Amino acid sequence: MDIDDLLAEVAVDSVPRELRDLQELTRCWVAERVAPEILPWPSELMDRVLDRIRRQIELVEDQTGDMNPKTNFKLIIIQTELERFKFLVRSFLRARLNKIDQHPLHIQSLHDASLDMLQPLLSHSEYQYLTSHQSLLAAHYSTSFLGQFPASLQRLDDITGGISMIDKPDEDKAVFVRVLRDIGDIAVEGTDRRFNMKRGDVWVVRWSAVKKWAIGTGTGDLELI
Amino acid sequence: MYGEAANKLVQNAKRIQSLPHLPPYASDLSRTIIREVRDLDRDVSSILAPFGSSFNPSADPSTACALLVNHLCMRRNKRCLLAYHKVRASKLEAYCWEGVDVLEQHNSKEGEGGLAGKKDESSLSPEEEEYVRQYSDLLAAYKGQWTDVDLTGSLEPPRDLFIDVRVLKDAGEIQTEYGSITLTKNSQFYVRHGDVERLIAQGYLQRLS
Repeated sequence: MDIDDLLAEVAVDSVPRELRDLQELTRCWVAERVAPEILPWPSELMDRVLDRIRRQIELVEDQTGDMNPKTNFKLIIIQTELERFKFLVRSFLRARLNKIDQHPLHIQSLHDASLDMLQPLLSHSEYQYLTSHQSLLAAHYSTSFLGQFPASLQRLDDITGGISMIDKPDEDKAVFVRVLRDIGDIAVEGTDRRFNMKRGDVWVVRWSAVKKWAIGTGTGDLELI
Repeated sequence: MYGEAANKLVQNAKRIQSLPHLPPYASDLSRTIIREVRDLDRDVSSILAPFGSSFNPSADPSTACALLVNHLCMRRNKRCLLAYHKVRASKLEAYCWEGVDVLEQHNSKEGEGGLAGKKDESSLSPEEEEYVRQYSDLLAAYKGQWTDVDLTGSLEPPRDLFIDVRVLKDAGEIQTEYGSITLTKNSQFYVRHGDVERLIAQGYLQRLS
């Protein structure tokens, strides 16, 4: 541990919780929109943020009608801030839903595997959405045409016959990352590329190669940008 | 035979992706494909029938080849049908998210079509109509858990709290935190964005920048 780390720790503690949550939420939002895979649901962060949004809405509702120009001005600032927060949360949730809709079966199996871990992949309501949407789609397919198929061909998660029906996201997609802490040498699987990642560097690299250091999916030594 | 109809269907699906509206459901085509699959399946069982349960592919390569071709065709047809239905379903879901009422639209079309004869049939299959209904229920249920955030709201980052809007169609009276406003055609207002977002999406108001 050197002087930089000590300074960094002091700096983090002096920043209020609210501001750190905002930074964290922004980071989650950027990462979720960039990463090819769905990232674990940040349940504690979301609970805090949603709780704060709810409190601010109540505050605004309480104080409207007060014609005092001072409070009125304050309210406008609060509401603008509120709109921005709502946008972040909305965009974040929609990005996740979009991924869920694209690779439902793959994500479902990942989620089931992640249930024992500290952070499940999906929130409870997202999981509900996924399962009910899947059953809706399955019912739609089977009433439209699958029901009239031979029984051996009616499955939707068939992996025999060379082509798997379970679609996966492309984990080799290139992402932009910023290194937050020195990582050292990284080898990209399948190629003979090796390089050294130092704090402050920005790289374009395959997601699968850096996944285990990213925030959310790994040690948190680098962030997606 | 052997995937010709399915080919047409995927081309159709490809075309749908770039169309702004949803073309009529290709019920004839999908019926043909289903029939083809059933024929192929019957073929397979009639080829296999004389062998009982002891068919050995290496002893009889020509039969094995025929079976393989039939199997692959059935699988391909299934993939094509799935792709076609998935594309349409995704489009319908997008409509649900945007708040466009597909069923309503189709009904009003029928009303107009009543005069011009019965040429305007629904572009949705009955199964799809059912799907839309259930999906909007699902969406409403999911949205209900996020009332504070309004999930179907704009995905553009907000800039201003208040915006100028012009009223394109009479929308009646709306309630805002600053009292009620009566929206009459051609009038202009300076209102809170969140209050009128829905009305802009539905085409009652136009945003002035």
